[in-house]
Amino acid sequence: MFMPLEGVRVIDLTHYTAGPYATRMLGDYGADIIKIERPGGGDPARRIGPFYHDEPDLEKSGLFLFLNTNKRSVTLDFKTEKGKQIIKELVKGADILIENFPPDVMPNAGLGYEELSQINPQLVMTSISNFGKTGPYKDWVGLDLTLFAMGGNMWGSGDPELEPLKTAGRMASFHVGYASALATALGLINAELRGQGENIDVSYFEATLQSIDARMQRLLGFQYNNKVAMRVSPGASLGLGSGVYPCLDGMFMTTAGAAMFPNMARMVGREDILSEPGWDTVAARSRPEAAEEWEATLIPWMLERTMKEVQEACIEHRVLGGPFNTVENLMNDEDFDARGFWQTIDHPATGPLTYPGFNSRIHFEDGERPVRRRAPLLGEHTVEILKEIGIEGEEISLLRSEGVI
Amino acid sequence: MTATENDRRDMTGTPVPGTGKLPLEGIRILDFTVVFAGPYGTMHLADWGAEVIRIESIKHFATSTRGQLARPPIEMVRLRNTGMGYVDDDPGERPWNRQAIFNTHARNKLSVTMDLTSPEGQEAFERLVAQADGLMENNVSISMERLGITWERLSAINPRLILVRMPAFGVEGPYKNYRTWGNHMEALAGHPYLRSYPDEDPTRGPSGVPSDAASGVGGALAFVMGLRHRNKTGKGIFIESPTAENFVPFLGDFIMDYSMNKRVYTQLGNGHPFLAPHNVYRCAGEERWLTIACRSDAEFRTLCQIMGEAGLADDPRFADSLSRYQNRRELDEIIARWTIEQDARETMNRLQAAGVPAGMVMDENDVHSDPHVAERNFFQEVTHPEAGTHKNPTIGFKLQNTPYHIRRHAVLLGQDNEYVYKDIMGYSDEEYQKFIDLGHVGMDYDPDVA
Repeated sequence: MFMPLEGVRVIDLTHYTAGPYATRMLGDYGADIIKIERPGGGDPARRIGPFYHDEPDLEKSGLFLFLNTNKRSVTLDFKTEKGKQIIKELVKGADILIENFPPDVMPNAGLGYEELSQINPQLVMTSISNFGKTGPYKDWVGLDLTLFAMGGNMWGSGDPELEPLKTAGRMASFHVGYASALATALGLINAELRGQGENIDVSYFEATLQSIDARMQRLLGFQYNNKVAMRVSPGASLGLGSGVYPCLDGMFMTTAGAAMFPNMARMVGREDILSEPGWDTVAARSRPEAAEEWEATLIPWMLERTMKEVQEACIEHRVLGGPFNTVENLMNDEDFDARGFWQTIDHPATGPLTYPGFNSRIHFEDGERPVRRRAPLLGEHTVEILKEIGIEGEEISLLRSEGVI
Repeated sequence: MTATENDRRDMTGTPVPGTGKLPLEGIRILDFTVVFAGPYGTMHLADWGAEVIRIESIKHFATSTRGQLARPPIEMVRLRNTGMGYVDDDPGERPWNRQAIFNTHARNKLSVTMDLTSPEGQEAFERLVAQADGLMENNVSISMERLGITWERLSAINPRLILVRMPAFGVEGPYKNYRTWGNHMEALAGHPYLRSYPDEDPTRGPSGVPSDAASGVGGALAFVMGLRHRNKTGKGIFIESPTAENFVPFLGDFIMDYSMNKRVYTQLGNGHPFLAPHNVYRCAGEERWLTIACRSDAEFRTLCQIMGEAGLADDPRFADSLSRYQNRRELDEIIARWTIEQDARETMNRLQAAGVPAGMVMDENDVHSDPHVAERNFFQEVTHPEAGTHKNPTIGFKLQNTPYHIRRHAVLLGQDNEYVYKDIMGYSDEEYQKFIDLGHVGMDYDPDVA
């Protein structure tokens, strides 16, 4: 069995969420990820919760543990002269370097693409930053909230009478990380086939403009008809039969609209309505009042059924719908269990825990994808990796006493 | 024109150096994707040089792909107010070529029409599979099985084929035939409940689709991974990349908290687990909003100075991060009283110049008129024969040795029939005429297609 990124070595100078998610994806496909962490504290994500049993500890951050499976950790201060030399030595044998510092940090440390591509012309270097390496905002700061507000579809998200809403958690960062993994993989293909290295500039802002939460199509749509994506009450974009409705044991989201309405009418046993005036054609069902009129039929039907029953009816009648779940409901859902999606990963600081599984499954003819290795302890592989580039014994002790590693 | 035509220029029209090769040049992908997640995946592959051929049928309309209906009544077009509809709100003669969602992702692609429900359509399809490097689709299992699209059959025809399937819940499993859009799958995964307003009815929150983008990128990455596997082994491969399994990891920290502490969150709104301020504030004007967040005492002190309330930074209610978090509602009210008098863009610029994280909530017009977006050439003007000339959004990352531009407008239905049937599949003029007579080939849906 050959893993898609077998033999690919990645120097990972990323931290927090977006960058580590990018290298996590490459690690899941078989690349050797060498995570360079700051001596002492390491990746700042180690200090961000949620923590195992709510005990803050560099080895107990759920965010860090989840983002850094299948990686090896080296502590190294690359801003020291010796640290910089070690990075350069690692780059000689690497295919990819990924970093997410502000745009000036790597060039100022003497580790910009100009310098590194001289050491390794086929290197694919991916830089992830808030606004990219050029332009008036290149030095601006940001978080998931402020960057999603600018790049994502926050303006059009939420109730028209309330304020705009962001997506949950770190979703925009995950998206940017995912896009960075794709960009890096494309660079690798060109490097291997055509011998051309690559200098990739990922802008968080642009990666969200293109396109978390349908932003991209709204930007073209605005050009088409000068309309902005107004906030609408839930489901109202398609109106009829679209929204979140109460049912016996919770809530359920459906979408129908004038065009897909017949399936929903059949689902609730009201096929007869399709021959009534005002309901018999797509144009007739596009009456703005139709949505509220239909709720008088749909809501009582929902209220008599559990989320699971409504879901089964949707599958049977090809109606778009989903239960309004919590993460706990998700983790107990039959489908993810049946597919073996969840993975149990053991770790010395937490014991075995359930993690989200692989984003994809590779149907190898000749074997199973290897299970994920747990996230590394801070500096767990420092000696091992230094030995790989010929640094051993007293030299390592010296580096340690100088605070380089 | 084919997607491999090469006049290498950057987005400003300047010729560029380098090998002049896009990473996926020479790779031919058959595209059975529908709605958005799948087409967004193949968009990335077409963007970076693959010859992506959409396989469509003029006898069947895949709903919500080239619009919701082939010929939507004007009442339905006007009802929609999300800005993602038709050029000038006019569906025109061929609505399927004028719809914003489709025309966003269908750039750089090709389109062929064939009817796979007929024997001659199946024969043509087999010829095409033999000439392809990959196939991508995101339909429920039963739809693909009906058309005979299975790994067993495809790999027998072409052992070097890379197959990426991305149905919502996977090819096998209890939900393999469960049709959803991104928002319903996200509801099942827990996202809208997490995202909703605190202290309000949770059903008032948005029903968004970040999962579409997540799984589109995931599908494209899976294909590139399949390609590297083939480059190294010479063998084709089947990779499954379900949209749900691409999206659920985006909730990773919430899942880990449940896994570690059995904690369940709902209705987080714009809040942060430990930072304050971290919210959206109304500014002067209609629907003008600014997000502000402070990660440190220093950032908060700067914010207070700019607000003209330097003393707040020493107020015991707000002097350290824990106090600010505990008193965040009071703090939000104070900031909101200030922002309501301020211009959103000007305040964003002022706060950012002083190093405070701030971002205005941009509508589409704000993005189109933004100076940073303009300087980085995010938009490219593209002329489409049936939709007109518009500024199209381009790419989320730049490969600086391999500059990008949109090489071709969003593909018209059946635009490349002659090239695909004759040049790729090798049919003669007479045979091609037969496909026209049988109603496989055309640029209009049959009149009775809804």
